[in-house]
Amino acid sequence: MITGHFKTDYSADEGIWSNWPKRWGLVAALIGLAIFPFMASNYALLLAGQIGIFIVAVTGLNVLIGYTGLMSLGHGAFFAVGAYTTVAIHHEWPLTFPLITLVISTVVAAAFGVLFGLPSLRVKGLYLAVATLSANFIILFLIEQDWLAEWTGGVRGTETPNAVFFGIELVSQQAKYFFIMPVMVLMLLFAQNLFRTRFGRALIAIRDKDYSAEILGIALFSYKLKSFAISAAYCGAAGSLWAYFFPAILPEDFGLNMSITLVVCLVAGGMGRTLGPIFGTILILLVPEMLKVVAAAITGGDATSQTWVSPTRDILFGLMIIGFLIFEPMGLVNIWDRFWRFMSRWPFAK
Amino acid sequence: MLSVTQASLAFGGIKALDDVSFTAASGEITAIIGPNGAGKTSLFNIISGFYKPQQGRILFDEQDITHLRADKRAELGIARTFQNIALFRGMSVLENIKLGGHTRLSTGFWSAGFFYGEARREEARLRAEIERDVIDFLELDHIRKAPVAALPYGLQKRVELGRALAMQPKVLLLDEPVAGMNREETEDMARFILDIQARWGTTILLVEHDMGMVMDISNQVVVLNFGRQIALGTPDQVQANPAVIEAYLGTSATTEATATEEPA
Amino acid sequence: MGQFIQYMINGVISGSVLALIALGIVAVFKATKVVNFAHGHLILFGAYFYFTFSVVLSEAAFMPDWIRSWDPAWLQAYAGDAAMFSPKAAIASWVSDLPRILLGLIGALAANAVLALIIERLVMRPLLGQSAFAMILSTVGLIWVLEGSAGLIWTAEAEQVPALGPNFPIRFELFDQNLFLFSGSLVNLVVALLLFASLMLVLRYTRSGVAIRATAEDQSTAYAMGINVPRVFSTAWLVASTTGAVAGAILASRNGLSPAIGLFGLSVLAVVLMGGLDSFAGVLIASMLVGILSSMAQWKLGGGVAEIVPYVAVLVVILIRPHGFMGQEEIERI
Repeated sequence: MITGHFKTDYSADEGIWSNWPKRWGLVAALIGLAIFPFMASNYALLLAGQIGIFIVAVTGLNVLIGYTGLMSLGHGAFFAVGAYTTVAIHHEWPLTFPLITLVISTVVAAAFGVLFGLPSLRVKGLYLAVATLSANFIILFLIEQDWLAEWTGGVRGTETPNAVFFGIELVSQQAKYFFIMPVMVLMLLFAQNLFRTRFGRALIAIRDKDYSAEILGIALFSYKLKSFAISAAYCGAAGSLWAYFFPAILPEDFGLNMSITLVVCLVAGGMGRTLGPIFGTILILLVPEMLKVVAAAITGGDATSQTWVSPTRDILFGLMIIGFLIFEPMGLVNIWDRFWRFMSRWPFAK
Repeated sequence: MLSVTQASLAFGGIKALDDVSFTAASGEITAIIGPNGAGKTSLFNIISGFYKPQQGRILFDEQDITHLRADKRAELGIARTFQNIALFRGMSVLENIKLGGHTRLSTGFWSAGFFYGEARREEARLRAEIERDVIDFLELDHIRKAPVAALPYGLQKRVELGRALAMQPKVLLLDEPVAGMNREETEDMARFILDIQARWGTTILLVEHDMGMVMDISNQVVVLNFGRQIALGTPDQVQANPAVIEAYLGTSATTEATATEEPA
Repeated sequence: MGQFIQYMINGVISGSVLALIALGIVAVFKATKVVNFAHGHLILFGAYFYFTFSVVLSEAAFMPDWIRSWDPAWLQAYAGDAAMFSPKAAIASWVSDLPRILLGLIGALAANAVLALIIERLVMRPLLGQSAFAMILSTVGLIWVLEGSAGLIWTAEAEQVPALGPNFPIRFELFDQNLFLFSGSLVNLVVALLLFASLMLVLRYTRSGVAIRATAEDQSTAYAMGINVPRVFSTAWLVASTTGAVAGAILASRNGLSPAIGLFGLSVLAVVLMGGLDSFAGVLIASMLVGILSSMAQWKLGGGVAEIVPYVAVLVVILIRPHGFMGQEEIERI
């Protein structure tokens, strides 16, 4: 039984990889990530890439909803901004180095985040949810306009470029995977670090009790806007990766559907925790795929053309949202925690 | 150190504060007393910046802070606790206290995200400082990792005091620090308050209903009633003031004490 | 000028439908403090139910002929040889449709009421006392459940349903301008405003109205005063679902039956916030304003812009008046 982890100085106590299960867990996860593409099918890699991109975006949303306590139902818009910025950059300068494009897309999305975060200075909760929802509709509407169509392709969407690193074009799923995953890991670590310092603590304080945070010298206005900027930046980065990952994009890819999916991934995983977005995204994106497998088994053969599959997937998706809220509002991370608590005491206590 | 001049605050037609003026001298304890609804917490709220007084000024270190935002005042060195404890309930004691150090740290966004160099050193330094000046000082070492929500009321009040102390404030506003405490806890808290004053020379403002404690530890007492300041002076002067006796005991007591002082 | 008045009238008519939809959102919010993001989809179900009862069921083999098309002798005599598109012909055709319209309305009201009660019991009640965030999200989850279920039950193609009232063009003059509108729209306007007004009267003057208002003020005190709070919740959902069914029937007969009705309902949420969540009067004003603005946008800028008018308007209003035109601001005590 593990009774405690003993440390001899304060900086050790502040560490995040404080014990061997955590350290080896991280190493194992990284090794797993690295060797996965050599064993997986193209289909699995497609899913993995999609999940990786979503994890980046959901982590950004976690900064806003999970840590700062500000609601958003419109983050699909920032995803769109990131994706379309990437497309536009390559339209103007086709040979831009992908990382530079990634950074610019991120910054542009962050700027939009600040703009549409402005209502958060005056309203909270539901009002903010509807304000961000409105922002989503408005941004997509702008993208669809004819005067932007040269860069965005308008309503009909546009083809997207492949990333080219030093003359090597990333075409295969495998190659794209190795572009997405390092970005994802770095952005996850960044977020994790953010919340062990003054900056992250200030955001959490705003979530828990805003007037109390103010009295400690935390400028609510500036921190709320920064939180919006960070979360939008993460979604922008995800959007940029998305543009490199898929051959084409449509404005409606980034609508309410995506915004809600992001929130649902977060709720299912667990808000305000680093692991939450990872668990949640994997679950929410894999369940529809599993449904496909089940449907194929029932009908015997390819079931994707069946008319009942898509509505059933919608129902299942909605039921998962409601189910998590009623039965496990803290998300999968809570189940994970319970498991480890149980393990650390076993067999001496339940 | 901190002075309030002719401050008035009204909500619609109700005057919460009416022409209140006093000066809290540096390093002294000033108590603000008065019956319920006298405007004590409103006074704290205009000092800490939640409300802006319609009239009057608030000076801190000779600087006019009347129109400064709450967080800017905190940066200047005004800390406070709340009547209904306003801790971050989801966090541990240590995390709550660390938040008090917010204004004294300088880690920016980028170094925070990469957690290199200065950010790392700064966190370690803050931790050591908190351990010494707050956790040891307020005898919180046995609960530093406990979640705040699970602590008993008295300890929560002490953690909130600790969070304010971590700001290393020049002025400390304590809103009913011993409300709802038993004799022993009250004495502990009074001891902490006096220790803070002795150790750091902090100017302390105190709203409290426990008259025994107020009269024991404060250097100056401000008495409010229905938003008006009815007395100001040392504990002895205030205790002898007929207007104060009237406010606390009703009119009949006044008429018996001094028939001439009756208000129109 | 003539154009302007014409679009103004169109705006008021669509505003009244917005108000009817908004009514359901406000009623549920007032009683339960839940903002129902899925109200649009409740309306979608109302529309589908109306279609089921008035079209599918009335044409079923076991139904008597007069329900499908009522054709008594006096009606034949009245219609006579009325010209196509004349008021007389429109009225005659409406009267012969009347049985199935009534069947459709009654069926839709009843079915939607049952649906709302099920939702309230199974989804909303277990979440009582949870955060606003959880409440919002669970109704968002409902959107998908309802949309998926509708997709399973009914095919997603646009269908025609009978209008609530006789439909013929009315031409008239106002300020020396030639204007026109459809009598069907006029009927919709009257129905919507009547429902809105009668509900406000019910809230003001009846026992259950007072119970709803008391619960809105303070749930636990209402409980302590012996008000059956869960029943108040059910009542509010009933109000929302039945007015929603009427709104659904109106929308389906006006624009055709399609899943887009659900999304339209979502835009009404923006209208509700503009007016102030807990104020019927504010919401009525906001509905009219958005109706008129959309109609003007349609005139000057095209249909695409008209669709996002509610969203732009709500952003502007929230920035200036965070709680809408007439919403109550919550005061935080420190």
